[in-house]
Amino acid sequence: MSPAALMLSGAVRAYELTLRPVIGANCRFHPSCSAYAREALVCHGAARGSLLAAKRILRCHPFNPGGYDPVPTPKDS
Amino acid sequence: MDSKRLILALALSFGILAIFTVLQEKFFPHPAHNPTQTAQTTPQSTATKPQSATGAPGSASTQAAVANGPRLAVDAPMLKGSIELTGAVFDDVVLKDYHETVAKNSPLVQIMGRRGGTTPSYVQFGWTAPAGAKVPDDSTVWTPSAQELTPKTPVTLSWDNGQGLIFQLILKVDDKYMFTVTQNVVNKGAAPVQVYPWSRVVRDYKPKVESSWVLFEGPLGVFNGTLKQEGYGALKDKGEKSAGGVAYSSSGPGGWTGITDKYWLAAVAPEQTAQMNATMSYGKVIDGDGGAYQTSFITDKAITVPAGGQAAFTSHLFTGAKVVKILDYYQRIYHIPNFYKAVDFGILYFLTKPIFFALDWLNTLTGNFGLAIMIFTVGVKLLFFPLASYSYRSMGRMKAMQPKIAALKEQYKGDNTKLQQATMELYKTEKINPASGCLPMLLQIPVFFSLYKVIFITIEMRQAPFYGWIKDLSVPDPTNIFNLFGLIPYDPTMISPLLHVGLLPIIMGFTMYLQQKLNPTPPDPAQQRMFQLMPIIFTFMLARSPAGLVLYWAWNNILSVGQQWLIMRRAMGPKPTVPAKG
Repeated sequence: MSPAALMLSGAVRAYELTLRPVIGANCRFHPSCSAYAREALVCHGAARGSLLAAKRILRCHPFNPGGYDPVPTPKDS
Repeated sequence: MDSKRLILALALSFGILAIFTVLQEKFFPHPAHNPTQTAQTTPQSTATKPQSATGAPGSASTQAAVANGPRLAVDAPMLKGSIELTGAVFDDVVLKDYHETVAKNSPLVQIMGRRGGTTPSYVQFGWTAPAGAKVPDDSTVWTPSAQELTPKTPVTLSWDNGQGLIFQLILKVDDKYMFTVTQNVVNKGAAPVQVYPWSRVVRDYKPKVESSWVLFEGPLGVFNGTLKQEGYGALKDKGEKSAGGVAYSSSGPGGWTGITDKYWLAAVAPEQTAQMNATMSYGKVIDGDGGAYQTSFITDKAITVPAGGQAAFTSHLFTGAKVVKILDYYQRIYHIPNFYKAVDFGILYFLTKPIFFALDWLNTLTGNFGLAIMIFTVGVKLLFFPLASYSYRSMGRMKAMQPKIAALKEQYKGDNTKLQQATMELYKTEKINPASGCLPMLLQIPVFFSLYKVIFITIEMRQAPFYGWIKDLSVPDPTNIFNLFGLIPYDPTMISPLLHVGLLPIIMGFTMYLQQKLNPTPPDPAQQRMFQLMPIIFTFMLARSPAGLVLYWAWNNILSVGQQWLIMRRAMGPKPTVPAKG
């Protein structure tokens, strides 16, 4: 993992352990948006990982049915 | 195994509490005092201020500084005080509408401080003369044209420099918090004279600041339309590193600058058409705690006083409470740019300011700021309710789904990940999903943060009572469970400041616990543990926050629980409105 990806991943982890318990888990997907973000950062690096995570959060709203939505494997992209 | 986890969890929570105590000491010190000032007995001299050059705003001349010289009394509807005539110093302003504590007989709030005391804080106006003409300084004794300055009686302070120049400060005060100061020079000589009028706001000590990341206190100003906030610490650091103690400087037309507390402000605004140089600087003085924090204006170009003529420069001086309506009023009538930003609305001002006005309106309507907070929170919840409940539109199926979920639980016993995955897929195929999603959550965060911030910074909440035991929403709940709410006559905070948890924070913690009960817990065990600890951590964290904030937090939790319950009831109710397809 690049230092940038590692830092971003750490920030997401910090969110999971501090803010998320306060505002509650509201994700409509599995894996949850934050878990998805961390996995995407590992698999796709800082830039593409962040982009994937952002797109996922934008999908995570009441008008989307949700469900199982894994991180695409690098080959798929 | 379980007990080990418990011990670990306890150790972790105490660790967090310990760290939090340290952080809180650093970032949220106990509610600060108001700079209160009594008459001093020990006249002292102010040493050289930052900047040099004769008569510059920075170089109040070395000796001088008299504490008990003659004074000009000031009396206006909302403020009173006096002006030190030696040096013409605005160092004594008392706000008639604000008491230091909720007690009726407590002293009025004094927002300035005399030099020689422990909290010197003052404003001065003066001139710099490049040609070396004699200009007034700290030892200049001014002659007032009347005994008292009131809205009906303007007063002119005069001083003859003995070289053909008469310096005048024409003072007016209005019915709120504004002085108008016209710096006039009369030239009786045969040659024109050039002067640079200046004004400065000075504090010769660093107050105990309540400052945190939601609230700014210290020197600030608007230069070229942009707000600049320079905290005491940063100002000192930068000032000590640079020549003349200058930490920040800026040039441009007009603007305003001053020093602010959480609720009070002293600020000067020059003529808005004049090109000004603004400087924030730090210097060493004998007064106060030894450090002088100063922010000043000086005209960029000299003003020429023709032979036999006169030349004037008019500034406004605000000394008062940061009531948004009053700041807006002055912004409007004197064209002071972004004057309302003296209230720390922050970068989300486009959210915080409307929220403030909504709260303020509800406050005047209900007469209780606590009620205003509660009604407003209901409004915000209603606004977001459609988002939260949309997922339950095609409903009546939640109940029918229970057996399927139970079946899945049986099927994936021991494999949490698989179970989660299958449950989510089931939600998808059945077109119901109990979660509202991360995006709506993300959208709500700025709104709730803004509300939190407004509640924290607003003067309207100062000494505003709620019901029962809450007499002041802007200070922590005074009750304490660690002495059984006063039954045991001792102060547990003597042992540790953490040992103060009032009834309201406990109610808040309980509502948070309830709300979490209704939320799905994440599968990750570390997150799960944090989930369980959060209500406890938050109870302690919020125990020392203003009661108004705790009230908001608790009420918000209760509404969340109610909303969830309502949605669930609708979802599982006996009358499914839309029949299941296929």
